[in-house]
Formats: sequence, C-alpha cells, structure tokens
Amino acid sequence: MRQRATGAGLAFALLATTAAAQEEVYLKVTSPGLQRVVIGVAPFTSRSAVDAVATSQFMNTLRTDLDQTAVMGLLPEENARLVEPAPGNPGLTRQRWRSVGAQLLLDGTFSGAGNQLVVEAQLWELTSGEIAYSRRFQAGNALAATMAHTLANEIVRLLTGQPGPFLSRIAFISDRSGAKELWLMRWDGSDPQQLTTHRSIALAPAWSPDGQWLAFTSFLRGQPQLFVLRPTQGSFKPISTLPGVNTSASFSPDGKQVVFAAGDDGNTHLWVVPAEGGTPVQLTTTRGISTQPAWSPNGRQIVFTSTMGGSPQLYAIDAEGTNLRRLTFEDKFADEAAWAPDGVRLAYTTQVDGRFQIATLDLRTNARAVIDGPGSNESPCWSPDGTTLAFVSTRTGRKQIFITDPLGRPRQITNDGNNTQPSWVAQVQ
Amino acid sequence: MSTAKQLAVLTLAALVVAGACSHRKTLVTPDVPTPESATASSTAAGTEGATTVVQAEPAIGSAGTPEAGVSASDLPTDLVELNRAGYLKDAFFDTNKADLRDDTRELLAANAAWLKGHPTVKVQIEGHCDERNTGEYNLALGWRRAFAVKDYLGSLGVDAGRIGVISYGEEKPFAQGHDESAWSQNRRVHFAITGR
Repeated sequence: MRQRATGAGLAFALLATTAAAQEEVYLKVTSPGLQRVVIGVAPFTSRSAVDAVATSQFMNTLRTDLDQTAVMGLLPEENARLVEPAPGNPGLTRQRWRSVGAQLLLDGTFSGAGNQLVVEAQLWELTSGEIAYSRRFQAGNALAATMAHTLANEIVRLLTGQPGPFLSRIAFISDRSGAKELWLMRWDGSDPQQLTTHRSIALAPAWSPDGQWLAFTSFLRGQPQLFVLRPTQGSFKPISTLPGVNTSASFSPDGKQVVFAAGDDGNTHLWVVPAEGGTPVQLTTTRGISTQPAWSPNGRQIVFTSTMGGSPQLYAIDAEGTNLRRLTFEDKFADEAAWAPDGVRLAYTTQVDGRFQIATLDLRTNARAVIDGPGSNESPCWSPDGTTLAFVSTRTGRKQIFITDPLGRPRQITNDGNNTQPSWVAQVQ
Repeated sequence: MSTAKQLAVLTLAALVVAGACSHRKTLVTPDVPTPESATASSTAAGTEGATTVVQAEPAIGSAGTPEAGVSASDLPTDLVELNRAGYLKDAFFDTNKADLRDDTRELLAANAAWLKGHPTVKVQIEGHCDERNTGEYNLALGWRRAFAVKDYLGSLGVDAGRIGVISYGEEKPFAQGHDESAWSQNRRVHFAITGR
C-alpha cells in the first residue's frame, strides 16, 4: 500500500501543469514571526460530478495546512462565514473577502472523470486584485490529500521562496510494537508506517538528502551493524559491519558517502563509507568516544561529539580529517549536533540541572541559546526548510516527538509507546 | 514426573543448597558422590538419610564455584542454567565512567581465575549504561566499559579469543526505574556465557 501510494504520488507530481508561469517569489514576507499574512479559502465549486469524499478531504487538508506555517494564517471561520458570494460578480465577491480581513484569497474548481480529480486553483492578492498564482492539478481521488499538500507547499513557496513542509516526513524509532523499530510518519504525526519488523533493536535513522535512503543501526544480526533501507522498496542492506557500535550515520550532502561511529578497541571513532557499501575509512583517531557526526550542508566539515577533552563536547573536523577544533565551551555536556540547512546554525543537546535541553549555536557569531522546556528534551532535528525543529521530550511522560509550531509552541506529534530519534526529510523519493 | 522435570527440580534444590557449601574447598565429582558430601548436603537440606539429596549432589557441585582445574564437563550443559548459576559476577561503574573501580578489579580477578580454570568456556561481555546520556553516546560508553573489562581480563591472562564484546548502551536496562537505584544497576558490564 505504501509503495503504491508513493509511486502514484510521483506520477501525480508530473501531471501538475502550470497555467500561469509564476515561479518567482511574488509576495515578499519581510520576516517570519512578524504579522502572518491572512489567507481566505473560498469553497471550491464543482464543474462536474466529483467524488464528495475526495473533495472534502482536499478542502480539509488544504485549510489545515494553510494555517500551519509562520508566514500565513487562515482567515478565522467566523469571518469567512460573513462573506456572501455575489452571483456573476467574482470581483465583488473578492472585495467582500477583503472586507472581512483576508489579504490573500484562494479559490478554485473541481472537475472529475472516473476516479480522477482535477483541481484548478487561483491565488488572488486582494489589495491589487491580481492573480498571484494559478495552477491545475490532476490525480486519482485517493490522492486528494497529496494534491492539497502540494498546493499548500506551492503557496508557501510563493511567500518564502521555500516549499512548505506538507509533503515532508519524519523517520523515527518507536517501541509501540514491542521492540524498537524504524517508523515513518508525516510531519504532523499522521499516517505512521512501520518500516522494519526485525523484533530486535533499531536505532539512529538518518535520511539521504534526496529522500531515497534511510541509514540506521540494527542489532538484527547480534552485533549492531549499519544498514541502508529504501522505504519505497522495503529492501535494506548492511554498509558497515565493523566492530563496535556502527551507529550515528549522517549522509554527505551529495548522498554518496556516510559518516558514522565505530571502533575496534574501546575507543569509538568516526569512519566514512560509500553509501552503497564498501571499505570504511577512519576519519578520527583521538582516544575516548567520538560519535554523533553530522555532515555540514556544504559538505566541507563534520561536527561531532567527543570526550577527547574530558566531558562530551562538540567538535568540528574538515571532511578530509584535518583542522580539528572544539565548538562548545559553556556546556557541561554537548551532544547530538544537527546542522540547520543554512549551514550556519547548529541545534544540539545540552544538560541543565541534570536534564537534557535543546540548545542552538550560531557558528558565525558563536551566539548560544538554550531552549528551556519542561521535562528532558533531546535529539533535535531541523525541518527541511530550517524554520523549525523536531525533538524528543519527556514533558508528558514517556519519550515523545514534538515539533515547534509557527509561534514557537511545542506540539506533540506522537502518542503511542516511546518515540525517539527523529530525522526529517522534505519528501520521500 | 518426567526425567527432565525431575532434573530441574533437583537442580533447583541444589541451587538453594549451593550457598551453604560454596565455601568448601573440596567438591564432589559428578558421578561418584562421597559419603562426606552426602552428609554435608543432608545436613544442609535438614533431612536425614534422604537418598534423593545424595542424588542431587552432582548438581550442587556445579552450582557452586568450582576450583580452578575442574573441567567444563562439571558445568551444567544448558547455557541458560549455566548463566543462571552466577559463576561470573557483573561489574559496576560510576556515572559516565568506564574506569574500573578497586572493588570491580577484585571481582574481575575472581572472574578471570574462574575463566582460566574453565579454558573451554566462552563469554560475551555486554556493556550497559544508565539512561542519563543520549542513546547513541551511551552505545559508545557501553562499548568502552566492555572493553575496559576485556582488557583487564586480558592483563590477568585470559585469552582474548574467548571473549566477545557488545554494547547495548541504554537499550537493555536491568532496572526500569528513573532514579539512582535503577541507574546504578544499569551502569554495568554483564557476563554472558556463550559456550562451555
């Protein structure tokens, strides 16, 4: 089922056609976190017989998505209800949307044939009265939600230059089936899918940047080994069977190599192995523990955790294994570094009063900030657009995955069992 | 009662008695119980002239701590039983440390002596951690703890080829709580006998 859905999703993307070539950023938003642009969504009209379940799913998904980002907010329902459509005068109708507070208006039509749904959508900039965006989508009724996510992504891209998160997915580890297995869910926690049924211990998932491969550690064969898995095909293979922990994989930005931690004596070192498998090359030789590598977005350096100076701290090394330097000095403990896509900021796990907390470090200014939250908070992971973080918290009891919403408020997206080690990708390919 | 069940019951009885006689220097050989051992176990069991206790003697011998030089055939054939007998003691660690404490070294010296006395026995050394580091860091810390133990056993003359090493980090805690009493139980290296 999962494989079919993904394959069909790809076909659908190819069918999306541009009615008005409008690729540039049309509407500038000065800074996220300031005033959110208010968008109204008019009920789409049906031009022919359509599947009511599919269109209802489309509208609900679209409305939910459009209220989820920092850059825009959905016009409140009580305002939208005040708008009386002016028959035969769409311009007047749009004026009425503007009068109740909408700055943007999305309207459109449904039509269908057989099990296909066609959506034609227009985005109006209500001050100027001009069309900001217009596009036609077609897919099977079963993909109505995917069509809505794609449209919502496009609208966010129009506002920010970066697509929205609505097709992104988070890989994670859950024990909800009784053993620690690899799972996948949508960015909002919906549609959880179990990727492994090893009944062993799976750990530390990491996406390839193109969303094709997941690297992870499994005790499936006794000793922990490093595997890569293709979620759309369900197949997986080992890429490191070195002695030691074989964990904490991170892909190079071109997806060709994987840096990870292992070691054949009591020390744990960083190694690099071709993503397809091959002979691992040792990157670090310092005594103690070196683990949790994270390859920088430009590929030039790798940040990792090491005890070479005593307590665990963050260090950076060039991808060739030279130019070692320490990054954290104010933390008793620093671990689990994650690069923001901008290549400037790191999120990591620190310790405050015996509890884990998420911290950020700006590598240009060395500005450090601790995000103080209830419970113990760890394993930060950036959203693909770098605007928000997923992390693991015990604030509601067991370990659960949270994301921060547009206003910086935490939102729990898992409930069942313990859920840990999120890794977020823009789209599974 | 089947023979297997009978054996299990006898072995259990033997395990209870073992504590009382584990200090004895001389241990019985499996098939020829001496009058001396029969008396000892009768006394320990609190029954006079109970022939079933005499029959249990071989199991008593294997549940205690055999002297160096006793062959592996004295050990229970079942690995689960062998591990349950507790010949090899687990080593415990301070928070976020992989250094061997003095009491740990003493304990490991006893383990090393037993291993040298049972040269065919193979063990897997499992490194474990409490939950107070991140999961992946703990995997590396458990690995370091396990190797600290392996290296020390090696320095005492135990052949490294008999010792497998694995780290479970915080993934298989012995105690489930979230306080020091649980954490101190979970900062350990566990000995699992994998072959006799």
